[in-house]
Amino acid sequence: MTSVLLTRRESTERDGRAVIVIAERDRHVRELQLYFLNTAGFAVEFADDGQGALDRLRLDPPALLITEILIPKIDGLTLCRRVREDPALADVPVLVFSILAAGARASHAGAVAFLRKPLVESTFLAAINGAMMTTANPASPASPANSANPAVAAR
Amino acid sequence: MTAPLTIPLTPMITDRRRDGRMAVADTTERLTSGNPEADYILGGGFPANSINIIMGHPGSGKTIFAEQLIFENAADDRPILYFTTLSEPLAKVVRYLQGFQFFDETKLGTQVVFEDVGSELAKNGPDALIPLLRQAITTLAPKVIVIDSFKAVHDLAESVAGRRRMVYEMTALLSAYGTTAFLLGEYTEEDILIYPEFAVADGIVEMSRRRLGNRDERYFRVYKLRGSRYLEGAHAFRITGAGLDIYPRLVSPQIPEGYEPASERISTGVTGLDAMLDGGVWRGSTTLLAGPSGAGKTTIGLQFALQGAREGERSLYMNFQENPSQLVRTIRNLGVDPDEAQAQGLDLVYASPVELQIDSIIVDMFRRIQQGRVRRLVIDALGDLASAATDPQRLHDYLYALVQHFAVSGITSILNFETVGNTIAGGSMQNAMSYLSDNVLLLTVDGEERTRRSLRVLKTRGSAHDTRVREVEISAAGLAVLE
Repeated sequence: MTSVLLTRRESTERDGRAVIVIAERDRHVRELQLYFLNTAGFAVEFADDGQGALDRLRLDPPALLITEILIPKIDGLTLCRRVREDPALADVPVLVFSILAAGARASHAGAVAFLRKPLVESTFLAAINGAMMTTANPASPASPANSANPAVAAR
Repeated sequence: MTAPLTIPLTPMITDRRRDGRMAVADTTERLTSGNPEADYILGGGFPANSINIIMGHPGSGKTIFAEQLIFENAADDRPILYFTTLSEPLAKVVRYLQGFQFFDETKLGTQVVFEDVGSELAKNGPDALIPLLRQAITTLAPKVIVIDSFKAVHDLAESVAGRRRMVYEMTALLSAYGTTAFLLGEYTEEDILIYPEFAVADGIVEMSRRRLGNRDERYFRVYKLRGSRYLEGAHAFRITGAGLDIYPRLVSPQIPEGYEPASERISTGVTGLDAMLDGGVWRGSTTLLAGPSGAGKTTIGLQFALQGAREGERSLYMNFQENPSQLVRTIRNLGVDPDEAQAQGLDLVYASPVELQIDSIIVDMFRRIQQGRVRRLVIDALGDLASAATDPQRLHDYLYALVQHFAVSGITSILNFETVGNTIAGGSMQNAMSYLSDNVLLLTVDGEERTRRSLRVLKTRGSAHDTRVREVEISAAGLAVLE
């Protein structure tokens, strides 16, 4: 699954692995995310809050941003909108992974996919793959027809 | 196992939102307990991804309940993990499991994974549970995790602070991951206030056992179930080869909107009695028929049921004293062909009150009524039900709920009650039943040289009645009121 990404997002790799930035505070969720994503061949970096995530993205845009909505300083949905408004981050897709049932709000904020907690390995990885196959900017000609449909990735 | 009550499962809770659209509040995904009656009580099952405690003394049935749950949920998608913590060897667990119908050997090791973690926990303390769980989650991805016994893990902790830390860590880990957890334990009711796992649990189910003479009464009770409309109270159950056979407590029906009592009179089948009641009894009414032994209660009850059968109505005769062949002989003595009556809709049911709990009798009767579309019912006699009930209040609640169900469903009933002597006055049950019933009839027996039987209408609800004491006679044609 990573081979597709390597050709599409060469600037977002580290040691040949696609980088995913995750804004998440829950230690146990982090541990599981780290384990499953490392096992699946991704490099993972965590941010404690929305501002930290935004700073990290501006430093070097990753292949994907995963964010909880309930995070300090800048909430996940605002973070999502800020990323969409920043031309330098136009290509970074966002997956909202939250305890809240906020699929519609996430889509509205510009996320390419939404997934409700708790974490289940198979649906989590499927959502990530779906999100990374999708381009963040729906106006881009490379955009698949279903990119705006969060349900595709969340399935 | 018999089918559950045909009451709609998981009533959808709807409310009108501010924008005027109907929102369905109960969208909780649920995990079946593997037991239809338990699911009915739980409001559809356990909420998925929840943490639940199954508590009860040793031998209360909690392990069987959990085992039924895991085998019914075992499928090819994600496995089920069963941690045993009491150093009970797997061989021993499996040996007893094999006796149950839900046991499926082919699922063991793949779909259902048993793991003995007792020695690891004994060596490294209760905190070792967390890495064990994390390892299981990352390697197995279990959709259900059972820890049997969790209290045993807990008791390994050396301090209160240590306990709380372990429970907190475990809860946080289990909440992060999409799995439904069941913590089994020999907890008592007092422990609910003391042990921290009860504060974090989404669901608490208790299994209890009460000794009653030579038999045991077992009860299933939901203490707490977040986000669920569950059926409160104690529900009796038995342990059978199929697992738990639970009898959900019968509760009073919701009176449907626009409900009106039936305005149709039906014949009792007893010559002269209809006239005393101003043309028969109301459909859906309950009649208490009291009298001493030999006064004619069974005869009237049978005539009432046979009349129903003659009119093509399903009629259920619940009897606790005479076995079916004795009853068939009595019917034949009335000049009726028992086979023909049964073909027409007469259903004779014999239950031994010595062997059964009142819950199982009542729930079984209720199932028959619903499934068989019964229109007439005779219970012969209430005193037998009372002897099967350990708790008079419970019997009263049951009878009240039954009478309400009958009224709403238009089932006309006669409840026989054996008195001591020719009076109905006395016990609390008589008083309660007289109050609940629409009609109260009293049969009496007198006479020294010749037995004289008489019948009197003490009460009718919603009609005029003959206030006289009327002599009755039992002949080959049945009981008749004399002119």
